[in-house]
Amino acid sequence: MVDNTPTLWYEFKKGLWQDIPPFRLVLGTCPTLAVTNSVINGVAMGLATLFVLICSNLIVSAIRKYVASQVRIALYVVIIALFVTLADMFLAAMFPPISKALGPYVPLIVVNCILLGRAEGFAQKNPVMPSLMDALGIGIGFTLSLAVMGGIREMLGFGSFVNFKLLGEWFEPWIVMILPAGAFLVFGGLVALVNYISHRKTAAGTNP
Amino acid sequence: MTDKTTENTETKAASAAGPKAEKLIVSSSPHFLNTESVPKIMHTVVMALFPAVAASVYFFGFRALLLVLVCVASCMLSEYWMQKIRKKPVTVYDGSAIITGMLLALTLPPSFPVFGAFLGSFFAIVVGKQLFGGLGFNIFNPALLGRAFMQATYPVLITTWTSPRTVGHAVDAVSAATPLALMKFEGKLTPLMDLFVGNVAGSMGETSVIAILLGGLYLRYKGYINWKLPLGYLGSMAVVGGAFWLADPARYPSPLFHLFAGGAMLGAWFMVTDMVTSPVTPLGQWIFVVLGGAMAVIIRLLGGLPEGVMYSILFMNAFVPLLNKHTRPKVFGEIKTEQS
Amino acid sequence: MNSFAKMFLNLTVVGVVSGVILAGAFHVFDPLIQINKEKELKESIFVVLPEAKDYKVLEKTVGKEKLTVYEGIDASGQPVGIAFKADGGGFQGNIGVMVGLNLDYLKLKGIKILDQVETPGLGNRISEPAFEDQFKNIEITPKVEYIKNRKPEKPNQIQAITGATISSNAVVTNINNAVARVLKTFPKDEMIKMGEQAKPASAESKEHQK
Repeated sequence: MVDNTPTLWYEFKKGLWQDIPPFRLVLGTCPTLAVTNSVINGVAMGLATLFVLICSNLIVSAIRKYVASQVRIALYVVIIALFVTLADMFLAAMFPPISKALGPYVPLIVVNCILLGRAEGFAQKNPVMPSLMDALGIGIGFTLSLAVMGGIREMLGFGSFVNFKLLGEWFEPWIVMILPAGAFLVFGGLVALVNYISHRKTAAGTNP
Repeated sequence: MTDKTTENTETKAASAAGPKAEKLIVSSSPHFLNTESVPKIMHTVVMALFPAVAASVYFFGFRALLLVLVCVASCMLSEYWMQKIRKKPVTVYDGSAIITGMLLALTLPPSFPVFGAFLGSFFAIVVGKQLFGGLGFNIFNPALLGRAFMQATYPVLITTWTSPRTVGHAVDAVSAATPLALMKFEGKLTPLMDLFVGNVAGSMGETSVIAILLGGLYLRYKGYINWKLPLGYLGSMAVVGGAFWLADPARYPSPLFHLFAGGAMLGAWFMVTDMVTSPVTPLGQWIFVVLGGAMAVIIRLLGGLPEGVMYSILFMNAFVPLLNKHTRPKVFGEIKTEQS
Repeated sequence: MNSFAKMFLNLTVVGVVSGVILAGAFHVFDPLIQINKEKELKESIFVVLPEAKDYKVLEKTVGKEKLTVYEGIDASGQPVGIAFKADGGGFQGNIGVMVGLNLDYLKLKGIKILDQVETPGLGNRISEPAFEDQFKNIEITPKVEYIKNRKPEKPNQIQAITGATISSNAVVTNINNAVARVLKTFPKDEMIKMGEQAKPASAESKEHQK
C-alpha cells in the first residue's frame, strides 16, 4: 500500500488481482478444486460465497465495537454459519439442480478460509463501507476465479462453454479435465500464470 | 519467442543473477563415474528398443510405426520448444526425448489416434520432465506420466484394443480384449506361447515378451542397467502372483502368466530401470522393486483395472527421494549380505 | 467480571438472533424443498412406470429394515406397476437406481439411474437412455444378466457397456438384489391389498398443505 488512506475503490480493486483469493492468497482452494467442472457450477458457488461474504463482513464490521475479543472467532463462525445455511436452503428451494450439483460444498462454505480470513483480517478493524467494498472485491474476484477455472475445465472436458457446444465434433473431450486431477492441473497452471504476469509487472515497474 | 519484452526482462533477470548464471548447468542423476556420456547411453537404449518396435510393426502393421514416429517427433519438438522458452541449452539430440517418445508409443494401443499421441508426448515432456527442471530432475518417468495422462483423458480410446494382424482373420476385428482383461473379466487364460511371442491384443510394444527380452538383455550386456531392478520387480510379481495362485489356482493365474501378460516385461526392463526415477542405494532399489511388483499384481487381481504395472511404477517413483534419503546409512551392511 | 458479562451477552444475542432468523427461513423454504424432493421422486417413478399418473407409498418394516415401494396408478386409480429404489456400490461410489416392476412380478418395466459418480465418458454411460432402455421388458427370472460385445440372446439379458463392465455389472447386481428383496417382503396378494388401502400421494400431499 502506497496510500496511507486507502480509497474505497482500492479496497474493491485489490480483490480482483492483487489479492485474488485462490491464486494469490491461496485461500478457498477446496471449492475452487471441487465444484469447477463447469462454468455454471463455478459461478453459482462464487455467488453463494459472495453473498455470505458481504453479509458476514457487514455484520462483523457493524458490531466490531461491541465484541468481546475472547469470543470473537466463535461469534464470526456463528454469523457465517447463519448466512451459509440461508444460502444452502435458498439454493435447495429455488435451484434444486444447482444445489444437487454443488452437493456438500455449499454447507462447507462455513469452513472456507476466505470468510473467516476477511472477518478477522479486515472487517473487525474497518468501518462498514470499506468492509463492504472489501467483501465485494474479494467475492467477485473469487467468483471470477471459479468462472475461469470452470471455463477452462468445461471447454476441455466437455467441449462446451456454459452448456453451449463450442468445439465441434472433431474435438475429443479430455475426460481428465472434469476429474479431480484436471482441477489440480488447471489450478497449478493458473497459479503459475498469475505469478508469471505479476513478476513481469514488478520487473517492468508498473505495479505499485 | 517473438515477444520482445519477454526476452528483455528475462535477459535482465539473468544478467542480474550474474554474468555466467545462464551457462551453469547443474548436474543431477544420472551420474556416471566413467567416461560414458549421456547421449551414448541414451542411444544404446534406443537401439535396445528396436526389437520391440519391430515386433509392434510386425504384429500391428505400419500404423504402429506411424505412432512411434509421431511420439518421437512430438517429444523432440516439445523438448526443443520448452528449452528455448526456459533459455536452457537445447539438448534434444541427447536421445532422452527419443526414448520417452518411443516408450510412450509402445504403451499405447495400436489404434490410438495421432492427436492423442501428440498430446500425450507433449504432456510427458512439458509437465513430466521440463517443468521439473529437465533431465535428471523429473520425479516420475515421463513416458509413464504421459501414458497416465492419456488414461485419464481418453479412457475409452486407450482401452480400445485391436487384434494383431497375425490373428486378425475375422473381418471386423475392431475391438479385442487384452489377455489381462480376458483373465479378469471372463476368466479366460491366454496360452503362454502366444504371450511369449506377442500374438495377442494389447499395447503396441508390450505384447511381445521375446522382443523386449532381447532389448533388455542387450542393455544388461552393455552394463547400462542394474540387474536388481528388472529381476527384483519381476521376481516380486512372480512371488506375490504365485501366492495368490497357490491359494486358489482356479481363480488366479499362474506366476508365469503375470510375467508374460500386459506391461510387466516392458515396465520391468525399460521403466523400472530408468536411471533418473529409480533409487540409487541398493536397499532403496530392493524396496522400490519389491513393493512395486507386489502392487502391480495386487492391482491386477484385486483392483478395478486389469493392469497395474503403470500405476505401480509411478507410485513407487514418488517414493524415490524418500528411499534415497533414508536408506543411505545402511548401504554398507546391506550389500555384503545381499550379494553373497 | 465485566468482560465475562460481555462475552455472555455477545454469544447469547448472536445465538438467539441467528436462531430466530434460521427458524423463519426454514419456515419459508422447507415446504419448497419438500416439494422439490417429491417432484424429483415423482418424475423418476413416472419414467420407470410410463402409464402411471399418480402413485401410492407402501411401507413395511422387516426386522430393523424399512422397505418402501411406490405403486404407480393410472388416471382411473388402477395399479400399473411398482417402483422402488435399488442402491449399491459401483466402480467409484454408490449407484442409485429407480426400478419399475410389472405387476405380474415377471418383467421390469424400466429403470432410471438416479445417482452415480462413475467415470465420465465410460462408466457414467449407464445413465444414458441407450443403456437404461435396454431394461424395458427384461425378465427377472432367474435373474437379470449382462453379456458383453454381443446382442442379448435371452429375454433376461442386457448388453453391458463396452469398457465399463464394472459399472454395468453394478447396475445389474443392484437391480437383482432389490428385486429379490421386494419379492420376498411384498408377496403379490399382500401388495394388492396394501395398495387398495393406501391413498394416492397427490391426495396426501394436498392434505399436508391444508
